[in-house]
Amino acid sequence: MTLFDVVFSGNDTVCGLTEGAINDAIAKYGEDKAVALPDTAYSLPCFYAVTGTKITTLGEMKAGLETIKTLQGRNKRLGDVFNSGVATALEAEFIETLKYIDGAQPYEAPCSGHVSDAIIRELGVPLVTGDIPGVAVILGKAPTADDAVALVKSYQAQGILVTLVGDVIDQLMEKGYKTGANVRVIPLGKDVTAVVHVVSIAVRAALIFGNIEPGDAAGLMKYTFERVPAFVNALGALNPIVVAAGAGAIALGFPVVTNDVETAAAVNIKVPKSLIVQPDIEKFNATSLEARDIKIKITNIDIPVAFASAFEGEIIRKGDMQVEFDGSRVDCVELVQMKEMAEVEDHKIEVIGPDFDEMPVGSKQQIAYVVEVAGKNMQADFEPVFERKFHAYVNCIEGVMHTGQRDMIRVRISKDAYEAGFRAKHIGEVLYAQIKNEFDAVVDRCQVKIYTKPEDCTKIRHEVAIPTFDKRDERLASMTDEAVDVYYSCIMCQAFSPSHVCVVTPERLGLCGAVSWFDAKATNQLDPAGPCQVITKEKLIDERIGEYEDVNEAVRKFSQGALEDVSLYSIMEKPMTSCGCFECICGIEPFTNGVCIANREYVGGTPLGMTFNELASMTGGGVQTPGFMGHGKHFIASKKFMKAEGGVARIVWLPKDLKEQVRDNLNKTAKELYGIDNFVDMIADETITTDPEELVGYLTEKGHPALTMDPMM
Amino acid sequence: MPFNRKPQKFSASINEVEIGTGDKVIKLGGASVFPFYTFDGSIGNAPKVGVEISDMGLEGEPAGVKEYYAGCTTMGEIAKKAAEMEGADFVALRLDGGDPNGVNKSIEELIAVVKEVADAIDAPLVVEGCKNAEKDGELLTKAAEALQGRNVLLMSAKEENYKAVGAAAGLAYNQKVGAESAVDINLAKQLNVVTTQLGVKAESIVMNVGTATVGYGYDYVISTLDRIRAAALTQDDKMLQMPIITPVASETWGVKESTADEADAPEGWGDVEKRGVSMEVQTAAADLVSGSDAVILKHPASIAAIAKFIKELA
Amino acid sequence: MALTGIQIFKLSPKKNCKECGSPTCMAFCMKVAQGAVDISACPHFSPEAMAQLSEATAPPMKTIKFGAGENEYSLGGETVLYRHEKTFVSKTRYAAAVCTCMDDAEVDAKLAAVPAVDYERIGERMFTEAIFVNAEEGVDAAKYAALVTKAAAVNRPLILNVKDAEAAKAALAVCKDAKPILNAATAANAAEMSAIATEAGVVLGVSGTSVDELYDTVTALEAAGNKNLVIDVTMDTIKATYEAAVEVRRAALKNNDRTFGYPSIVNLVKLSGGDAALEQALAAAFTMKYGSIVVVSEMDYAMALPLYGLRQNLFTDPQKPMKVEPGIYPLNGADENSICLTTVDFALTYFLVSGELERSGVPVNLVIQDAGGLSVLTSWAAGKLSSTSVSDFMKEKVEPTIKNRKLIIPGKVAVLKGDIESKLPGWEVIVAPLEAVQLVKFLKDMQADGQL
Repeated sequence: MTLFDVVFSGNDTVCGLTEGAINDAIAKYGEDKAVALPDTAYSLPCFYAVTGTKITTLGEMKAGLETIKTLQGRNKRLGDVFNSGVATALEAEFIETLKYIDGAQPYEAPCSGHVSDAIIRELGVPLVTGDIPGVAVILGKAPTADDAVALVKSYQAQGILVTLVGDVIDQLMEKGYKTGANVRVIPLGKDVTAVVHVVSIAVRAALIFGNIEPGDAAGLMKYTFERVPAFVNALGALNPIVVAAGAGAIALGFPVVTNDVETAAAVNIKVPKSLIVQPDIEKFNATSLEARDIKIKITNIDIPVAFASAFEGEIIRKGDMQVEFDGSRVDCVELVQMKEMAEVEDHKIEVIGPDFDEMPVGSKQQIAYVVEVAGKNMQADFEPVFERKFHAYVNCIEGVMHTGQRDMIRVRISKDAYEAGFRAKHIGEVLYAQIKNEFDAVVDRCQVKIYTKPEDCTKIRHEVAIPTFDKRDERLASMTDEAVDVYYSCIMCQAFSPSHVCVVTPERLGLCGAVSWFDAKATNQLDPAGPCQVITKEKLIDERIGEYEDVNEAVRKFSQGALEDVSLYSIMEKPMTSCGCFECICGIEPFTNGVCIANREYVGGTPLGMTFNELASMTGGGVQTPGFMGHGKHFIASKKFMKAEGGVARIVWLPKDLKEQVRDNLNKTAKELYGIDNFVDMIADETITTDPEELVGYLTEKGHPALTMDPMM
Repeated sequence: MPFNRKPQKFSASINEVEIGTGDKVIKLGGASVFPFYTFDGSIGNAPKVGVEISDMGLEGEPAGVKEYYAGCTTMGEIAKKAAEMEGADFVALRLDGGDPNGVNKSIEELIAVVKEVADAIDAPLVVEGCKNAEKDGELLTKAAEALQGRNVLLMSAKEENYKAVGAAAGLAYNQKVGAESAVDINLAKQLNVVTTQLGVKAESIVMNVGTATVGYGYDYVISTLDRIRAAALTQDDKMLQMPIITPVASETWGVKESTADEADAPEGWGDVEKRGVSMEVQTAAADLVSGSDAVILKHPASIAAIAKFIKELA
Repeated sequence: MALTGIQIFKLSPKKNCKECGSPTCMAFCMKVAQGAVDISACPHFSPEAMAQLSEATAPPMKTIKFGAGENEYSLGGETVLYRHEKTFVSKTRYAAAVCTCMDDAEVDAKLAAVPAVDYERIGERMFTEAIFVNAEEGVDAAKYAALVTKAAAVNRPLILNVKDAEAAKAALAVCKDAKPILNAATAANAAEMSAIATEAGVVLGVSGTSVDELYDTVTALEAAGNKNLVIDVTMDTIKATYEAAVEVRRAALKNNDRTFGYPSIVNLVKLSGGDAALEQALAAAFTMKYGSIVVVSEMDYAMALPLYGLRQNLFTDPQKPMKVEPGIYPLNGADENSICLTTVDFALTYFLVSGELERSGVPVNLVIQDAGGLSVLTSWAAGKLSSTSVSDFMKEKVEPTIKNRKLIIPGKVAVLKGDIESKLPGWEVIVAPLEAVQLVKFLKDMQADGQL
């Protein structure tokens, strides 16, 4: 038998049972007999939601069945499989409804049967907030009663709402397991048709919380798929009815995990990501959560010392130190690596090599911790974004001090922390928990490897980490604005600079110097409604000054209309606005055809006759000021710096400190753009002059290129 | 040449949100011009004034407030008297007692108060939490459930708990959601975006964009209100077109100008109650001309004055 | 469209002669573009350039001065309608009112109350800046002059609200050297009053019964050469007054109609009908909405405390946060043995933190650091709040006066703890919670644990 045959035959069976039950009831009560489910305003919720029709009498139910039959296509297509699954569920709802006819109370404790609207409203709120991260539907019979208890308990511990159908209820009763809505374990009923009561929960959640109009079947399926994090665990041998019901679940977007390897193999079932065979019941939890993309928040990090930002500034002195890992003396490294899903086992923490116990007190040791992450939305570009957080994570551990990054880290473990039981694996626990919590939007699986043997650390550092860092740096350095499809807006500082919008591109980081294109990208992915939004760059207006219609639209929108248009590469024409927190400001120096740049730290005067503060007060606050512009330090050596006006050759004056900071990169850029060697030496600074006339003299003496360039005004 | 008027009338307008039921229902919002710019076009519904009462009863209230409620012994009586106050359009019940760092009343105890107050009045009701986001998440969810059918406004859904409050008030129990952010246009907008993404209709949201007492960092309040109203009208920004409600009393009655007794205050300050009323009235007036569609006050003298102020300007 | 600094610079003499007071022509032109200086400060612009620029760079709203000597105040000169666009320039000034309709005792009491409110708030002196002297219709000139004489003795600039020429002349004879505002012109008497004001060298106030009438009167006065004006926008109703205040300012700043480019007077005595609380609401509203001078019945502390606080907030630079004075602020009766808690001088932080500390009831010495008026994280990121700045400040300012050696630092800069401890021998450094609202519990817990 194929999957099609199984589903169709299961559906046929249920259809026949339903028809029989309706006919029997009509024979007994007549067509006008009222039918209803108790405590709901949604009639027969599944049927009502799918068709938009309310059923109030047996006669209407009979007519309803004819409607359902139109879903039962028998072509060997997946569409018919799913529709037949839905039909099975709707028919099950009829069968269950008939149990309530004439005021009967068909269910008794512990089984709930139909669930009231009130309970759904109550459960719906934590479902929407994520306090109930998922809904498990366990159906059938676990290999043993202990397995059943263990599985239910594992979901319960994660806050997942568990509903039970079939023999598994008896298995729990046998073990005296506590059930009920208050403990979020709800036995529905022992007949397989009782599974419709959980479908009914999902459907009413869509009607109540999703504002889905009854009859909008497509909207309903979309809502349940996107917003109701339910999944099915079908335990034990699969019969056609269960398979047909399972097809209904999949139609609603709920994956089915089964341990019936034989039947699954026999029917050659292949519905990727929706029908999953997992022979090991112990792995049902992990498999199910991953299949439904449910992420569990880690509220308690399992370490013997405290973890809080209050410990971030703790300093551990030599005398108080149990052991030290010092990247300046021995090989140490911290690294994030993106892996394939199959390569990562979630929450696996390995310590490879001796633990702290085997290290002499007060000794210098090597360590390499590698965090391997995988996820559907993970990108290698996020690696350094996570990595930069390690400093804060490790530092927040009580009794642990961390400085530096990459392969220049230093970590000290205090004697107190050691006495409290803190060991190498706990660093892994902290990194695991923090990464999973903070980056759950992109990280599905995370494992940590901690190496402490000298040979391993040397190998990881030189053969894995350094090449990775080099590759990243190279990528960052070689990234051009032309090489990417989108830029990002950043409005993190609008509280102070109301109409300012930063357009962050690979070659032009945020004015504050703190937001690179990668940072903005990561911020956007992790917090899609947040301060960084995607800006497309499809509609070029003027290549010379870097003006795009898309960029202008975004700037208009994010400045609430205060700004009309901006260029990316000009300080004279529609220059980008400046916030209040820019690292540097450049201003046009009319007598030399060039610009002077002052950085925030520089307090002296400039040849412009203004200090940094004076320049800032005239330029900041999100106002376009042609001839003046705030920018980050890194932008100075960019090939896009004032590209429209001729580029970095316009720079005639820099404060000495800043000059030294940008010297190498700026020389390199000038060499590439103009073939000038040691360009930075042509640029004046405060030790040379802050007088405009002397400046001209100095530049003339040095043969500075700006003097012969076109006038900027 | 005679004066050439150039009215700023916009095609965009502030959403209308109804609170309450029956005869006493109020509508917030609806303006398509800047605050009280009646000469430019329609200001929609005149701003509304709420009377704040607390589950803590009259404990620690200024003399004039105590005097007004003299003889009231239950929360129900206090609520009834509040609803009758001259100039009042709605009652705002503040559940101060829920604060885990304060009296820490249980949710059940507070919900009993909520029900008692709701049963005592037919005026529109606004329920304010205890300022602790975690507790409010649960408290306001239960309040939304307890008040089904009353169409109340639940304040406040914040970044930390908007899912719980939004889902309960806006989805499960058909109430109105008060979205509270901290004096920043982008935070306000972001909260509205995520709340609507939850499924809550924009028309079910009222914003509390944060406030302060005049003189206490109020500059940010002015600019936030100014900018939100400008973005809503001039940019037709749908995610900022929710009406704005501003709780004033809870801010202004805590500052030293309103609390320092004449004996302890600097020389010449005079009667503390007069100062308190003036702090409340001036803050409310400033909020209103910057774009608040409703203010929550508590002193009868303030409420009478602001009601008159609105009547004169609207 | 205002000119940019660059556009002005193109027409400038480019001599860098510094005669204008700016170090370079570029700096000067930037200031002109901002409206910070008048282009006439440069003696070297060519006449053609001047003609071209003075119209374009002339501020949309005139700056009008009244009062003399240390009592001289600037009104107007605004360039924007909203404070977030750019700092408002000239603070609203408040005048207390006296009237010929009052008896001597009432006048004396009112005038005595004027100097009574005088205090400092975050570095700014707060007091009643002017006196509004109202003449009843048909009042005897001598009687009015007597009242003006009395009011002038209080040493505040006066606003002479008088519509009768003889009374106006009598009053000016008494006080014109102190440069009062003669708030006297109406559609009916504009020419005559303009002559009187010009003769006396004082600002003329213009009243009207509608926005249109005001506009026509100002147009006529300007045509006659008087541009030393303020506009009294007070109408018969609050609503009409609000409209006038908005229309006048908006016409000037948004619609470039310079006829209305003058400061305004709003007379609340006429609008409030003696309702003190309503007058407080109106004072706040018309401070926000474009009153250059707001006249109140009486400026007592109840009116002043919120109103001056509001004005201070309204007129701050939107980009430069308000600062409080660095120093030690003992709260809840703290003394030299009480614990110290430090934070930055950003006014908002200060108010939040001090408010919570007061709520806790625990005696604390609040130590305000000089952090450039930035918030905790911003100042830390900018290097203005560092372990060195904290430890230096504690050594210099705190150690000599406070004996307690426990210091609570902001939770957001927990990272500074170790460094501060090593730079401040003898001190125990404690990290506060991340948010100010958590301070009450934090301190009470410390108190309960006997840690204070």
